[in-house]
Amino acid sequence: MKFILIIAALLVLSACATVKIGPDATVLAENAIALATKAGGDEFAPTEMRFAREKLASANTSIEKQKYEVTIYLIEESEINSELAIEKSRAAKARREVNELRKSNEMLEVKLQETFGDDFK
Amino acid sequence: MSRSILKISLLLLLVSMTACVSAPKKDLALERVRDDLNKLTSNPELAGYATVAVGEAERAVRTAEQATGKDYYRGHLVYMADRRIQIAKAMAEREQQGQALREQQNIQSQMLIKSSQLEASQARLEAERARMLVATTNEEAERAREEKELAQQEQAESERAAELASQEAQQARKLAQSRASEADFARREANLASQQINSLTRQLENLQLRQTESGVVVTLGDVLFKSGETNLAEGAQTSLAEVVELLQTEPSKKIRVEGHTDSSGEAATNAELSQKRADAVRQALIDLGIDGDRITSKGMGQDFPIASNADEAGRARNRRVDVILLDN
Repeated sequence: MKFILIIAALLVLSACATVKIGPDATVLAENAIALATKAGGDEFAPTEMRFAREKLASANTSIEKQKYEVTIYLIEESEINSELAIEKSRAAKARREVNELRKSNEMLEVKLQETFGDDFK
Repeated sequence: MSRSILKISLLLLLVSMTACVSAPKKDLALERVRDDLNKLTSNPELAGYATVAVGEAERAVRTAEQATGKDYYRGHLVYMADRRIQIAKAMAEREQQGQALREQQNIQSQMLIKSSQLEASQARLEAERARMLVATTNEEAERAREEKELAQQEQAESERAAELASQEAQQARKLAQSRASEADFARREANLASQQINSLTRQLENLQLRQTESGVVVTLGDVLFKSGETNLAEGAQTSLAEVVELLQTEPSKKIRVEGHTDSSGEAATNAELSQKRADAVRQALIDLGIDGDRITSKGMGQDFPIASNADEAGRARNRRVDVILLDN
């Protein structure tokens, strides 16, 4: 009977089997944050940058507590926030470029109208 | 006793089986994510942009919807789906801005083209004014001549009337002659000015000029070369003579000759062809008197079209040699 009990207890423990992860598991998430910073994330997507850093910090905590499965989710969530910060920064830069060109075109139009008067339309 | 232990262990077994398998229930966060995705895909402004990223977001939402397992695992999938949607939205916005950028670039070049056309027509007007000025000057000179003739006649009469005044009359004639040659000189100068303005106007009319960041670009169409050939066609010299006239107006500026082709044929062949053509135009410009040290030539191949390669008219515009009068 004791034997059955042990088997049952083992089954409970292994039901949500934990995955062992290496000590460098957070390296990719750190790299992603570095890339997002370089892309201007702190300027254009500060919220997503904060999320990416918080999730990474939580991942490091859960590694210490040996909660490896949660760690993997947290790393993925940190990485995807860095990815989003990069895309948001790119979109913001593209928008800025368009606005600058639009403004310079408006100035050019004014200048050309001053030069050529009503002929320029 | 042993029976109760068996019961407990069976119970534990059941618990263990359900631990990771809880039936999917109504999940508000998941519904919100699905809703966000629908909003993105039905946004008419962003339709057709970032289709790959939108597809990934769609897959992430479906994965979250079909997931079974622990609450925090499903929560994780919902979170990832939400971020995927945000990423797709940002990428779509960036592509949309890229489209807007191209439109603004188009507007800019339209304005520059229009302004260079207006400049050419203003030069024409100035030439017209100069012609009128010359005509007015001619009339004045004519009047002056008539007055002098009258004066000469009067002097001749007074000569006949009084031989004593002959010396004075002679002096007056000399004076009149010198005034006549002054008028003549003024007329010649006016003529010269009008010719210069005319020739500038002709250059602006006949050549395709564009002002770019690097300088004035003269585009020589595909009349210079026969298809596939690298030797200048007959008659090309005449077009080049006009270019030389223009280039000599700025003798201190460097010149770059760029050969371009359309996209038909091999890229490597096009690169070589465009280099040889650029070289041929450079040599022709040197033969027409441009200092060889001022000119460099480069084959740009097919990579810098100014028009679409999809139709023959566009390809003909892309087969060209650009002569650039560099600003520095």
